[in-house]
Amino acid sequence: MDTHDTAPAKTRVRGPISQILHPVRGRLIVAGLLAAAGAMLTLVPLAGIAHIGKMALSDNGLEPAQVWWALIAGVASLCAGMLLISGAELLAHLADNRITHHLRRALVQRLSSVPLGWFTSRASGEVKQAMQDDISSLHSLTAHFFTTSGRAAGAVLISLIYLFTMDWRMAIVSILPFPGFFLFFARAMKASQTNMQAFTAGMGRIDNSVVEFVNGIAVVKSFSTGTRAHSSYREAIDAFALAFIGFTRPLVAPMANANAMIAPVTVLGVVLVSGTVFVGLGWIAAPDVLPFALVTPGLCGPLLLLHYITHDLNHAAGAARRVQALLDTPVLEQPAPGLQQSPKGNEIRFEGVSYGYDSARQVLADVSFTLKPGTTTAIVGRSGSGKSTLARLLLRFFDPTQGRITLGGVDLREIETCNLYRHIGFVLQEVRLIHASVRDNIALGRPSASQQQIEDAARIANIHQRILDLPRGYDSVIGEDALFSGGEQQRVSIARAVLLDPPVLVLDEPTAAADAESEVAIQEALSRFARGRTLLVIAHRLDSIMLADQIIVLDNGIVHEQGRHEELLAGKGLYAHLWAQGGYSQSADLAVSSC
Amino acid sequence: MLNPLVQLLDKDAPVLHRYVWMAVLYGLLSGLTLTTLVPVLDHLLAGDVRGAALWLGLMLAGVAICWAWRLQLDRAGVAVGVAILQGARQRIGEHVARLPVGWFTAQNTSRLGHVITQGMMAVAQLPAHVLTPVISGAVTPLVVVVALFLLHWSLGLIALLGLPVLCVALWLTARLGQRADRTYQHHFADASQRMVEFAQAQSVLRAFNGEGASTQLLEQALDQQRRSGMRLIYQSTLSVVLNAWVVQAVFAALLIAAALWLNANQDIAQQSGTVIAVVVALLLTSRFIDPLLEVASYAEILRGAYGQLAEVQSIFAVEPLPEPDQPLAPADSSVEFRQVSLRYAHDQPDVLSGISLRIEPGSMTALVGASGSGKTTLVRLIARFFDATQGSVLIGGVDVRQMSSSQLSARISQIFQDTYLFQGSIADNIRIGSPAASFGEILDAAQQAGLGDLIERLPLGIDTPVGEGGARLSGGERQRITIARALIKNAPILLVDEATAALDAQNQSVIARTLSSLRGRHTVVVIAHQLSTVSMADQIVVLDKGQLVEQGTPAALRGSGGRYAHFLEQRRAARGWRIAVPSNSEQA
Repeated sequence: MDTHDTAPAKTRVRGPISQILHPVRGRLIVAGLLAAAGAMLTLVPLAGIAHIGKMALSDNGLEPAQVWWALIAGVASLCAGMLLISGAELLAHLADNRITHHLRRALVQRLSSVPLGWFTSRASGEVKQAMQDDISSLHSLTAHFFTTSGRAAGAVLISLIYLFTMDWRMAIVSILPFPGFFLFFARAMKASQTNMQAFTAGMGRIDNSVVEFVNGIAVVKSFSTGTRAHSSYREAIDAFALAFIGFTRPLVAPMANANAMIAPVTVLGVVLVSGTVFVGLGWIAAPDVLPFALVTPGLCGPLLLLHYITHDLNHAAGAARRVQALLDTPVLEQPAPGLQQSPKGNEIRFEGVSYGYDSARQVLADVSFTLKPGTTTAIVGRSGSGKSTLARLLLRFFDPTQGRITLGGVDLREIETCNLYRHIGFVLQEVRLIHASVRDNIALGRPSASQQQIEDAARIANIHQRILDLPRGYDSVIGEDALFSGGEQQRVSIARAVLLDPPVLVLDEPTAAADAESEVAIQEALSRFARGRTLLVIAHRLDSIMLADQIIVLDNGIVHEQGRHEELLAGKGLYAHLWAQGGYSQSADLAVSSC
Repeated sequence: MLNPLVQLLDKDAPVLHRYVWMAVLYGLLSGLTLTTLVPVLDHLLAGDVRGAALWLGLMLAGVAICWAWRLQLDRAGVAVGVAILQGARQRIGEHVARLPVGWFTAQNTSRLGHVITQGMMAVAQLPAHVLTPVISGAVTPLVVVVALFLLHWSLGLIALLGLPVLCVALWLTARLGQRADRTYQHHFADASQRMVEFAQAQSVLRAFNGEGASTQLLEQALDQQRRSGMRLIYQSTLSVVLNAWVVQAVFAALLIAAALWLNANQDIAQQSGTVIAVVVALLLTSRFIDPLLEVASYAEILRGAYGQLAEVQSIFAVEPLPEPDQPLAPADSSVEFRQVSLRYAHDQPDVLSGISLRIEPGSMTALVGASGSGKTTLVRLIARFFDATQGSVLIGGVDVRQMSSSQLSARISQIFQDTYLFQGSIADNIRIGSPAASFGEILDAAQQAGLGDLIERLPLGIDTPVGEGGARLSGGERQRITIARALIKNAPILLVDEATAALDAQNQSVIARTLSSLRGRHTVVVIAHQLSTVSMADQIVVLDKGQLVEQGTPAALRGSGGRYAHFLEQRRAARGWRIAVPSNSEQA
């Protein structure tokens, strides 16, 4: 019932695993060696028993002192061996604790400097999955694999040495079951190979249908007209069970044979049969069988444990590969120290900017325009025309694939990130507050701001009074005792931007997530905040930006039209069409007139 | 351990029982076969090779039986695995299919997906990899203890006394681990949350990287996780050590007792067979200790598997929506709330309280209120995402709890903001609304939902696959597919959520068109944001903090100077807003 082929997997993945474990490799090897030494010591009492037995049965009879020595040596070795093994386990676990922490921090550092666009194209759950779950599943590798291998190797090695020194002929015969185990095991592996592909494909299929089932069930339940998702789930489950049976059937017998081959009863049977034969032939004395009867059956335990742990290893290897891939994510180019430049002034120029998520799909093509200090520029266009991408390029969520964007004459790529965000602030559609106090959220960009400055920012953002009404005022924690509506959250995020006092401000549909009541409050806040700054505004509703100094109409990633409201209306182009479609001319009185 | 498995397997439980009995029997057989080493060695050490050979025959027979039995046992283990992968997965599917729609939050769905795929796979491997060695490893020593007793009663007594001590140690260490484990899980969850936040709020964290502190919160959480992980390590190492030490202590005690006896009874021992008995007993002790050590070493693995099972149990513990034995059919498409209150959990405040409201068949009702006022919850109660804590929701005079779920959903179409599309073509996804629909009808619905342009643009038209490998659809386009899905269903009651301004202009106009065309023919309940929508309604319902505060026709409410009038004022102000222009900055 093995689902993985262990042997080839190990060689295939050595790369990422050894890379990931590099910082703790020394510790892990020491832990493995300690465990091996410990395992050797714990076997000493068995030799002691054999020794006492042989003495007791010899013609000379027992010597109490000898018995005592054998006993003391046995028990002392047992204790020492256990101590070593415990120490090894502790060491390996601490190494695991250390490396996982180290990897998590390294990932945090790495991901803090990849392009922001990397995050937008990924679900946050994926990031958590890699940082938390994948790294956790390295546990069986770091914490267990080395010590378990050490223990198994130590036990097997010392047993073999001991048995061969006792009597090489008996030793060879009594370990015969173990090659037998590997023979059956290899046959099982071979049997699994043939069905492996069908089985892996089945795994993929079932994962897909489970995803569809759990995500679509709400939709299915509300339509109920068909039990489509459920029946395809049922079919996938049944099909997988069949594939599983097909995969397992040829495997069960060889695996059971392998297991039965090295079961203590079998091993003991082999030892006693050969022992009896050898004694009958007069090759050895009867008490010489004792060491073999004592030690050989103990070999199967470590071997099976080793088998179980290699099973887990595949899982860890996959995780290691994903973590390593994440650690290798390309980072956003940072200006080399010394090449950093400070922008002179606040004029922003888009110069022949193109951007595509991949080569096949160009989102923006050859966009050029200028934001003069103190002016308002609006970007409009149908959904999917590239408006938000344009704004995000200015915020350097990602870099243009062609062309460049300059701030005060300097390419954004040559400005240090924190310097850039001191010049350009933003309020976006989706609001992100962090799990911390309201005060810390507002002061996120300026932790040293005074209470007075924070409150002033909150006043501008129309949220001061609402914060004072909270149970603990500015000390209330977001998501705990500060439960804000979408619109209120947006106002907190505006206060956060206000506190940085950036000369340039990017607004991307900032009222989209607001309910009716909040929308006005946000608008007031934005009007106050925007005063005297360079503005880049993205809007669905054209009437809100009709007074802008410059309106850029995007269509399919290119600048379709550009000008002031009146000019564009007169041009009777796309803008005029959108304006007519939106029904803005008659908008405001609709509610009154139609009833 | 076995109880949750039995519960999971339900009617397949006999498969598990059979397997467990076979494993117990395997342990017994192994133990019995092992004990034949006593007469074999007795004879051999006494120099009687022939006698030994006779007993050896018996032993080999035992080995053969064990071998054959092991084969059967592994087959039985696979049967349990199959029962889990097939029966239990189906059972989970059937169970969750009956759960209220409200249960399927993002968190619960991802948990469920994990349980069904990896969780069940791990549980299915339990018999072969873990349970067989643990069960047989626990049974074999019991047989050996009896043999020890017969050989030498004091050694038998020590071994026997060791067993309860070991049980206590196992139980104690399991408890010990649990506390540390819980603290660790708690910090693990905290850190996970910070990671999600780190990913979601990355733009903000980076832009507001005040004095380099953007990763500070996450790093704090990581440090905390590491510290509690460290404590867990010390505790669980202690557990493992304790278990192994107890076993080894029993072993040492047996050794010492045997040595003492040998030393004390040298003279008698020499002439009798007792010395052989003691030597053989000593040998037997190692067969007693080894399996116990193995059982102890599986303790941690068992604890992990138990976690998976507990997760399944917690899913089974969620109560499905009760279905009536004799469903009643609603008389018409009216909707009525009678003193409805709802809270999500006992210790949480009411989300809705004391709502009474009647919606006439064929009328249009607009729900208005701040976010968090309970609008969405109210609409979801109609579709029975969950049941009211108090009071009742009626459709056509019949309590929704008295209707079968198919009756209920046949009456309701929904246009909500979450848009899930199945793998398949655009047409397949629309057809979900009405499996019997003709191609023409589907095309028609697509046109109505504003998908005409899209279908024309795509090379495969309406047969273009959506989702992975298919067309990359924008959020608005995906939503329009779900609108078409709701339209083609053509149910007498339509529930619509236009909760925020997030809809793009095109979707907005599609919804407006839909509403005006269905008005008067269908019962429409809409969570309204647009002035045009509210003005179309026959009835306005204003909610505030879960209570119904105003109700009436738009005309009546407009003049009353109440909440609705305020809402109108706000909306109009919002519509009149122009982004401040430096040259004309006093514009409002």
